[in-house]
Amino acid sequence: MKLTIGHLYPELLNLYGDRGNIICMVQRLRWRGIDAEVKEFDLNDKIDFSKLDIILLGGGSDREQLLVCNRLKRIKKDFIDYVEQGGVVLAICGGYQLLGNYYKMGDETIEGLGVVNIHTERGDSRLISNIVLQSELFPLPIVGFENHGGRTFIGDYQPLGKVLSGHGNNNKDKGEGILYKNVIGTYLHGPLLPKNPHLCDYLLQTALNRRFGKVDLPELDDKDELAANHYIVKRFTQSE
Amino acid sequence: MRKMLAIGATKFLIWLGQAMNKQGSSTPGKIGLKIYPDLLKDLAAQVREDIFVVCGTNGKTTTNNLLCEALRSEGKEVVCNSAGANMLYGIVTAFAASASISGKLNADCACIEIDEASARRAFPHFKPNYMVLTNLFRDQLDRYGEIDITMDVLKEALAMAPNTKLIVNGDDPLSVALAKQSGNPFVTFGVDEQVIDAKHAAKETKEGRFCQMCGAQLQYDYYHYSQLGKYHCPKCDFARPKLDYAVTNVHLDRGISLRIEGRQFRIKSHGFYNVYNILAAYAAARTAGFYLERFDQVLRRHKTQSGRMEMFDIGGRHVVLNLAKNPAGFNQNISAVLEDKSPKDLIVVINDKAQDGKDISWLWDVDFERFHDARVQTFVASGIRALDMQLRFKYANISSKVEEDVTKAIERLVTEGTGNLYVLCNYTALYNTHLILKKLEEGKV
Repeated sequence: MKLTIGHLYPELLNLYGDRGNIICMVQRLRWRGIDAEVKEFDLNDKIDFSKLDIILLGGGSDREQLLVCNRLKRIKKDFIDYVEQGGVVLAICGGYQLLGNYYKMGDETIEGLGVVNIHTERGDSRLISNIVLQSELFPLPIVGFENHGGRTFIGDYQPLGKVLSGHGNNNKDKGEGILYKNVIGTYLHGPLLPKNPHLCDYLLQTALNRRFGKVDLPELDDKDELAANHYIVKRFTQSE
Repeated sequence: MRKMLAIGATKFLIWLGQAMNKQGSSTPGKIGLKIYPDLLKDLAAQVREDIFVVCGTNGKTTTNNLLCEALRSEGKEVVCNSAGANMLYGIVTAFAASASISGKLNADCACIEIDEASARRAFPHFKPNYMVLTNLFRDQLDRYGEIDITMDVLKEALAMAPNTKLIVNGDDPLSVALAKQSGNPFVTFGVDEQVIDAKHAAKETKEGRFCQMCGAQLQYDYYHYSQLGKYHCPKCDFARPKLDYAVTNVHLDRGISLRIEGRQFRIKSHGFYNVYNILAAYAAARTAGFYLERFDQVLRRHKTQSGRMEMFDIGGRHVVLNLAKNPAGFNQNISAVLEDKSPKDLIVVINDKAQDGKDISWLWDVDFERFHDARVQTFVASGIRALDMQLRFKYANISSKVEEDVTKAIERLVTEGTGNLYVLCNYTALYNTHLILKKLEEGKV
């Protein structure tokens, strides 16, 4: 058994520790005896979406997002088809913003993939904080770090979680990220998955089931992962 | 009158801080500036010759201290914030400490290390004659947002000081682009030969892989580390400029030896990145017209400040302490540890206070996997975010122990370990760890 992870434009969208998410997925597959292949795509590469099981779209600076956005127009249709057919996507930070219709920053507007009918606008200040979410997917909270100038408005879509501590999508509606089919978009960057093994396994399980039918994912010893998760939950939700 | 009061208050607070064994502090300067807002302007204006500022992500403190020592070797009186307090108030503290109680400053030159975000706050008070730009890497993105913002903030500062001459790392495409875009006059320094195994360097997480002028992907003849190397743009004419100060003949065994302008130098320090620190200080002083006849002595006498590859002898056991606060710096640290072929133990101390950056996700951009070849027997994760560090080790297939208390971690490995211990700390962990090691060395624990 093998999963193929497509890392889109890592040379542009790799703002801060996104590599941690790749390392985490690969290791958690290998520890269970499942092969993992990571394909990195440059802006000029042709992408065969049918070969991919998980797509990671990372964060980039505003300038880098502009470069990516021009390229995205060319893959927009294939990307939307992949999502509608149940393809797994993890989109972080800038990548999350690019899932929507547009990101308006001042006078400039970056056109997104339009995978989901949401949009982002640049706020006055950056929202920078440790963050804790309660997702409907799991009893265990999701923890991470957010750092974004954009405010994302997701309308009636389901958020990834409710903000217990931190800012979230727009610092107003207590929602963070988005859940749509098998797509997760979130502002929690960098090592989101290592400290949230439940979320990582959710992505892996979904991708495995899609490719191979129902697959049994053996449990791992997550003592260290859970300790790091609990520490953040405790420090940022119980002190307030 | 207000000026004297301001200096008096600042000096008193500095004395108080020293009496309490605190690190170079910014509070005295803050109070001084409150009492007399023109304090820094007034003191800086009294510098008789040149004001140098040293800016950039890594290497500021070492470069600034080397530059200061180089200028002193030329017989100059120099004001220097050598303790590394490099934000506006820390700079005020350094100036006030050097002034007399009546507010007279006896200084030919000033060497001021300045934080990237603080330059635009300091330049309204003084315009430096020279600014060294060491490099631009990802660092503390929770404070700066993203590296593009850091560059914008520096451009804003330079717009206030259009005549300041820049001494720029020519091997860094981001620094060179910044210099070009600023319109300021500039000279460059760099390493004009391939020195270290580039296989690893090519894989490191990098900034600025794309041409800042046209957006095409830069091509490299060779890398030194991170995005530093000999680069050119395949589409436009952006390329590493001809180096005004070029290092060649670099050797890294038992210290560093290198050649600049046909002169041979040696220093006891380890770590390739120190080549840049030496070169930057040299280039700055030479650009300002100093001949630097005694630069070799400066390097021989140079004492690394606390926590920069600082060595301790604790009852015959060898301990090395080093600062590692961002991916580029940490990867260089790992290279330095790999240079030591003997068995060793390793403690990594990670804090997440404001000065460290509250966001520690950068740990995942560091190539800890390389430690597999470092003959490390015991790995210990320590500091406020020890659990995150342990997790990072785990995903690099390294098993480690967690000991949040640094003192306990050190004591245990000094008694039970290999007798060769490396302690890598990020910023706020560094000073305390230094004090702990000093005490242990003096047998006070």
